[in-house]
Amino acid sequence: MTRYIIRRILQAIPLLFLISVVLFVLMQNMGDPLATMGGRTMTRKADRERLTRQLGLDQPIYMQYIYWLVGNDWTKVDLNGDGIANTPGRRLGILRGDFGTSLVNRGQPALQVIWDRLPNTLLLMISAEFIIIVFSILIGIYSALRQYSLTDHVITAVSFIGYSMPIFFIALVTMYIFSVNFKRWGLPYLPTVGMFDPQVGKTPLQVLWHMILPVFSIAFISLAGYSRYIRGTMLEVMGQDYIRTAKSKGIPHRDVIFIHALKNASLPIVTIVGLDLPLLLGGAVVTERIFAWPGMGRLFLDHLSRVDTPVIMGILMLISVAVVVFQLITDITYAWLDPRIRYE
Amino acid sequence: MSKKNWLFSIVLLLALILAACAPAASPQTQAPEATQPPAVEQPTEAIQPTEAMQPTEPPPAAQPSETPAQAEHKVATFIWTQEFDSLNPYYTNMWFSGVTQQIWDSWAWDFDEENNPIPVLVKEIPSTDNGGISADGTVITLHLRDDIKWSDGEPLTSADFKFTYDMVLNPANAVTSVTPYDLLASLETPDDRTVVMTFKEPYAPWLGTLWHGLLPQHVLQPVFDSDGTIDNAEWNRKPTVSAGPYVFAEWESGSYTRFVANENYWGPKPKIDEIFFRFVPDDASQVAALKTGDGDLGTFISYADIPTVKDAGVQIFTVFSGYNEGWYMYLDPEKGHPALQDINVRKALAMAFNRQKINDDLLLGLTKPAVTYWDNTPYADPSLTAYPFDPEQAKKLLDDAGWVDSNGDGVRDKDGVDLELTYGTTTREIRQDTQAVAQQQLADVGVKLDLSNYDSDIFFSGYAEGGPAATGQLDIMEWSDTTQFPDPEVAYWLCSEIPSADSPSGTNWQAICDPELDQLFQQEAKQVDFAARQQTFYKISKMIYDKVYWLGLWQDPDIWAVGSRLQNVKLSGATPFFNIAEWDLK
Repeated sequence: MTRYIIRRILQAIPLLFLISVVLFVLMQNMGDPLATMGGRTMTRKADRERLTRQLGLDQPIYMQYIYWLVGNDWTKVDLNGDGIANTPGRRLGILRGDFGTSLVNRGQPALQVIWDRLPNTLLLMISAEFIIIVFSILIGIYSALRQYSLTDHVITAVSFIGYSMPIFFIALVTMYIFSVNFKRWGLPYLPTVGMFDPQVGKTPLQVLWHMILPVFSIAFISLAGYSRYIRGTMLEVMGQDYIRTAKSKGIPHRDVIFIHALKNASLPIVTIVGLDLPLLLGGAVVTERIFAWPGMGRLFLDHLSRVDTPVIMGILMLISVAVVVFQLITDITYAWLDPRIRYE
Repeated sequence: MSKKNWLFSIVLLLALILAACAPAASPQTQAPEATQPPAVEQPTEAIQPTEAMQPTEPPPAAQPSETPAQAEHKVATFIWTQEFDSLNPYYTNMWFSGVTQQIWDSWAWDFDEENNPIPVLVKEIPSTDNGGISADGTVITLHLRDDIKWSDGEPLTSADFKFTYDMVLNPANAVTSVTPYDLLASLETPDDRTVVMTFKEPYAPWLGTLWHGLLPQHVLQPVFDSDGTIDNAEWNRKPTVSAGPYVFAEWESGSYTRFVANENYWGPKPKIDEIFFRFVPDDASQVAALKTGDGDLGTFISYADIPTVKDAGVQIFTVFSGYNEGWYMYLDPEKGHPALQDINVRKALAMAFNRQKINDDLLLGLTKPAVTYWDNTPYADPSLTAYPFDPEQAKKLLDDAGWVDSNGDGVRDKDGVDLELTYGTTTREIRQDTQAVAQQQLADVGVKLDLSNYDSDIFFSGYAEGGPAATGQLDIMEWSDTTQFPDPEVAYWLCSEIPSADSPSGTNWQAICDPELDQLFQQEAKQVDFAARQQTFYKISKMIYDKVYWLGLWQDPDIWAVGSRLQNVKLSGATPFFNIAEWDLK
């Protein structure tokens, strides 16, 4: 197993390198970071020339990639535009932990920009993912055990409604009902945006209060798909011979379901959870935007729209690494769940 | 049932723990985004700037704070759809950052709700009458107030002006713009209350462009000395020392920024204790927050939301800041479409396109067509009126110009070339709708439009990046822009701004080089005398109108939504929060 893990990690290195080249090249075609710089007016001619030079955007793409990868402290750059490169470079490159400096938040390290947002995203996404997994397992098992009952039909119907609804719709509808209209009707209402009320301050209760709507929106959509999936695999497993054997041996019903059936039914579930988990880092782009949640999804969109290569590359590489790691963890979990699986 | 309750408790508990683990109000920095001119639409009762910019009275000196009684802590929440990228005024081009300057930093002078200058750090606005401007217009002298100081109590002196000037021009600092400081021959500080600026040649737009924020030398000089640059200075993200009515308290990335009342403010004490900027990127969420009172102030709300926002008791302020939406036409004599070279064809386009209808239907009648690039300023020739919608006259003009439909395909042609024009803009909805209307109306007079839309950062990409507008791939381009507002200066029609391989950064993407017009722009830029400059701009606006070098679609003012709690609100187009210290909460 150790050998397998080491081999997988070694395989990941060229893969990540390739991903970084492809992403870097794609980023160069995303537009011009100096076009308006977030303003309402176009950048003036002289300023555009100067900034292109100062920010190193005048270099050919392969040099920009090399600087991004290994830094430029081994060479000199031209800052004042006299054509002579006489200022020593300051960048260390991503291989030495320097993700570069954000082009949007000028002067701030890209890693810091990302780091500031990561806890908020994880708070939102892990809470939602936790609710999704727990409730989808409960709902899925319940529906599988009571197949074609009235409750199963109701759950099926609600699942399809949830599954077919775009997230922005559910987010805005819940906001309008539970915030805007509840306030108008004089009921206790949920907050619309942000993580806390500035009049009260950022207390855990405030954050929890502000999390209700976004977590509900994310969970409602995904819950539907997950629970259908679990219902399907549980139905399949419940029809197997070993379940009948377990039942006939007189094992308590609960143990049959949670130990014998669920463990065997969870292999495909682990696969989808394993694929979903690394993407949690990316945040929920739409939900974060609507509820003004300061997470990674918004960061990504905001900085992509201004072609902030260091920050965007940082986020993408972080997610790439996470995907590789979680795939490895998924594979290891397989072996644990199903002793027949061996990696040699 | 009991199991479910148990599970719910676990979930709740976990969520609580996670929330508690979140970094509690740790002031962090950084900001995202922006791209293109933010959505601005309709005016209701546009505030009109008055004639010449009349300096008004300076603000009274510091008064003893009135009621020290510990009243309730008043927090006003401003909803901002874009987060600041930097708070250093010289490191940002974002409107959303720049307009906060009057809240926490000080300019040498602000502009009131009629866009007249008000002295802030200076005793009076320099003029030729008070000797602040030399007879030849090249030397401008500022006399600073005696009582101004930074929020940490340090005096604000001419050395801070000199330091700001030095930092902007130092090549080690990647500031957003060096203009107009690069036009100075020298900046001298004979004493700590006097700043003498000598321009290489008379520079008329100085009032609209100089001293948009000051850098505190005593904070940033040590940073510069140790790092060799102020690019990475902490002050850029946490300007804890400033000279405005409020001072920076904290900034949490993606979430909020707080400014609290400046205890050491030298002017009248602000009435609201804290200004809380909350970053809400979604327009619909902004409207919901304004309706529930989660926000006291919002900007750029869509015209479609105005009625419902008003129903919730929110006031709408329409403030003109020089923006006009318009058509820019690519007129390069070789690469441009031959039809557009003809003034009469351009006039025909103006008459065939019912721009009033766009304003009435798409913009709900809240705007009107822009006649000149300088509408609502003292610089537009007042005798001009918008070209009327007259398709018959348009057809006649096209016929007379030789563009007729000779092959019966519904599109006019001449010498084997079809009158088929490419018309591109960004993906903003109102622009796409405008394109569709234009396509239909121009088809009625035999002009075919091929529409295209781009993400704004692609659309506004420069010549070197192959931007579709910059490289002449489009015959008609549409966007909204202003001048050095409230100054009328704009570079779009200068011959020297035409982009090329040698000069890829030029902004004259229309490739218009009219020597007469160019000469007028050169002339006005040096006319320090208001009346003379105004006359030159009358000529400029008339020439652009007569030759249809630009076709205005609609006036594009700033829309502010002001919640019912806010009192004493005045807003200016140039410096919106000029009287923020007087604002109060009910």
